Amino acid sequence: MNEPPIAIDLRDLRVDYEHFTAVHDLTLRVPAGQVFGLVGPNGAGKTSTFRVLASLMQPTYGEVILSGVDVLEDKETARRLIGYMPDLAPVPRDLKCGEFLRFYARAYGLGNARQCSARADECLEEVALTDCKNHWCHKLSRGQTQRLVLAKTMLHAPKVLILDEPASGLDPLARRELRATLRKLASQGATIFISSHILTELAEMCTSLCVMSRGKLLASGTVEEVRTQLGDDSRSITVVPLHAMGQVPEWLRLCNGVADVRVVQGALELDFLGDDEAQAALLEEMIQRGLRIRNFTEKRSSYEEILIGVAERSRLS
Amino acid sequence: MNQQPICRAWELWKNPILLRYCRSRLRPTAVFVSCLLTVMVTGFLFQMIRVVSGQKANFSAIDIERTALLPLLFVQGLILFILGTAQASGGMTAERDEGVIDYQRLLPMTPAAKVLGYLFGLPIREYLMFFCSMPFTLWCLWKGEVPSHTWLSLYGVMASTTLLYHLTGLLTGTIVKNRRWAFLTSIGLIFALYTVIPQAAKFGLVFFKYLTITPVVEESMRYLMPGTAGSAWETGRRLLSDAKFFNLDFSEAVFTYFSQSCLIITFFVMLCRRWKDAEAHLLGKVWAVGFYTWVQVLLLGNALPLIDSGKLFPTQQFSRFAYLLKGKAWEPASWEALSMILVYGIISLLLLWVLSSIVTPSFGTQINGWRRAHKRNRTSIPILADESNSTGFVFLMALIGGVGWFGFAHVIVESRWFPGQSAPLGLAGHFILAMVTCAMLHQLLLEAKGGRAVFLGFIFVLVLPLMIASILFGASEKFLAIATWIAGISPLCLPALTAAHHLGIANLPLNLSRAVPGAHLFWQTVHGLMVLFLITNLWETRRQTRKQASTIGIGTGSRSKGDSAV
Repeated sequence: MNEPPIAIDLRDLRVDYEHFTAVHDLTLRVPAGQVFGLVGPNGAGKTSTFRVLASLMQPTYGEVILSGVDVLEDKETARRLIGYMPDLAPVPRDLKCGEFLRFYARAYGLGNARQCSARADECLEEVALTDCKNHWCHKLSRGQTQRLVLAKTMLHAPKVLILDEPASGLDPLARRELRATLRKLASQGATIFISSHILTELAEMCTSLCVMSRGKLLASGTVEEVRTQLGDDSRSITVVPLHAMGQVPEWLRLCNGVADVRVVQGALELDFLGDDEAQAALLEEMIQRGLRIRNFTEKRSSYEEILIGVAERSRLS
Repeated sequence: MNQQPICRAWELWKNPILLRYCRSRLRPTAVFVSCLLTVMVTGFLFQMIRVVSGQKANFSAIDIERTALLPLLFVQGLILFILGTAQASGGMTAERDEGVIDYQRLLPMTPAAKVLGYLFGLPIREYLMFFCSMPFTLWCLWKGEVPSHTWLSLYGVMASTTLLYHLTGLLTGTIVKNRRWAFLTSIGLIFALYTVIPQAAKFGLVFFKYLTITPVVEESMRYLMPGTAGSAWETGRRLLSDAKFFNLDFSEAVFTYFSQSCLIITFFVMLCRRWKDAEAHLLGKVWAVGFYTWVQVLLLGNALPLIDSGKLFPTQQFSRFAYLLKGKAWEPASWEALSMILVYGIISLLLLWVLSSIVTPSFGTQINGWRRAHKRNRTSIPILADESNSTGFVFLMALIGGVGWFGFAHVIVESRWFPGQSAPLGLAGHFILAMVTCAMLHQLLLEAKGGRAVFLGFIFVLVLPLMIASILFGASEKFLAIATWIAGISPLCLPALTAAHHLGIANLPLNLSRAVPGAHLFWQTVHGLMVLFLITNLWETRRQTRKQASTIGIGTGSRSKGDSAV
């Protein structure tokens, strides 16, 4: 089967400020049509990476290739491919929403005045802001502003959308709408590179993601793969037997992947390091050893806990 | 993919940025109010001046119309030069402040098209206000029978001056980060460039006068005033300097275009560089050297032809009246020549410092350049890159400045006004040495220690000694010698000491003439030693920078887990 083409190709990217390295030799490849998340605590280097990708900033060194176009060599061509939505989504104070979109439609050469206007209306409808067409941009609520800028970002149907924390400030309903919009864009062939410091948020939206901290890439892949790469395979399993558990705790302590076994008020609590297959095999073995299980619960670290762990480790290192 | 540019730089009617501002700045209510106010003010001036000059002054029909022209021009200047420039500067800062400038950076347009979009778009309402005032002016020009070449050159120069001022506003709006500071800097820069610096024209640097509309207004004045006053003005003006460039004669308008175009192109290049790369230096090194050379050529080209006629000397015009009254022929005083030589040297040096600040890379820029070079297995940074050090280029500019300065001094001293005085070519070395020393002190300090050290140096080494010396100069003649020695601490004083020491025309008071040679030699040596010290210091800094760049996390060997990902 043919592999999808690579939409975003970062090679050995480094970004330095005077006494601070924001991005440290980052290499990353994102296939076309993915919703790819970049997650990391504040100061991880997400915005610097995005600004370099968007051709707004010169890296110290490295290569940035978007759909085959070298961003650092051919900015003008690359800029036609890019839709960039910055953090905080600024809007001008002197334009109305419709005018704001029509200006960019014209600036991206989307046809004559009528065609530009039609495309602007289409995008406003896409983000459910048709009613706000004649409202001043700066008078919109935070969520509406985010949506307006998203509409502006997708105006010229860019191949690569770079969205820096697009969901910040959005209510749950707006987040759901954002997810739907992004999925729709991805299904139309756009590659979406999206950042957030909230892993749960990205886990819901992205087909794959990567985690950065202090300028370095720590993990990448699907959400599960990232969890594994970050060394957070551990899960806490609680087994409540129907009657006495006999020698099972002693046996469990000898099993592979079992880190700790505790008996708490007649229940068996164990920390288990292993994948789902290994966990299923362990349960089967318990039953074969005559343990009748009345209740079984599994608890894993939340995405936020993982990210906090990453940030803490990163800070300590 | 459509690779055609959205609009070419010259296709202003298609320029999306211009059209955006036509939309936002030409909303009916705001336009109506602005135009109404303009029509009210200009209409009031037009009618009132005509009525008063007709009824009270008994002017002829032509003079009545001409009388209103100057106030109308003043209002038009106010609209274009003040309101327009404030809008260009403030609008640009607002774009950056709101954060929307990044959207514009991402537009697939050339930097030139973006600059032109802002240049003509931001002050678009002011242009409209200007056109609202035009019917009154056109009436006055027509009925006042002002020759077409006069008003064409007047409005042509007004257009080029407007461009220059608006570009200055855009530039300050682009480079100054803080909104309030941008506005103040813009006003300050425009005041300095177009009000203070043109005063240097009175000290022989005639070129600076042509950065303003003044010479053309003065040339056109005979048609902008009632007949008698206009003729008197013209008679007076003919006694003053003409626009000369070496042996070529130009009209004031042509020479103003010639002088302003240099600055307009340079500012335009600066803005384009910033639109291309937000962190780029405002000027490239070669452009800076070229610009400095061009300014030196213009300064000399304007000044030298006026020496023999005496029109260069500021006292000449005042002394005409003395001559008429007392019958005493005018000749320039030696102190006047010396002051002009000093002003030339100091202005050349100040411009050199400005250009040196523009082209000298910061520590961060340099270390990034070295990291990039190491990554590409290069042993050096390309010499013309922004990251490359600017020492050689500043040295070259200092040589050019020194030669220009000595050339000016040489021609003045050996002119017919100072028989018996000479400034032999052998003296050129002292002038060049002083210029190079001052320029290198600034460049080396900036590159080795950064902008903060230069700022502290400016306050405590450059300005403070001059202030103390000035107080001592004013206090008593007894302190002249000590004041000279204290003033010598300031590198800005080095050109003065050089000229005063080596030029025979200096004709200093006794205690000063005793102090100057010693102070000059001493401070030239001290500053020279400082340069040597800074060179060694900078050498070490550069070595450490290279070492730091080559050791910290270069290459891909230090990657952590999962560094390469799909």
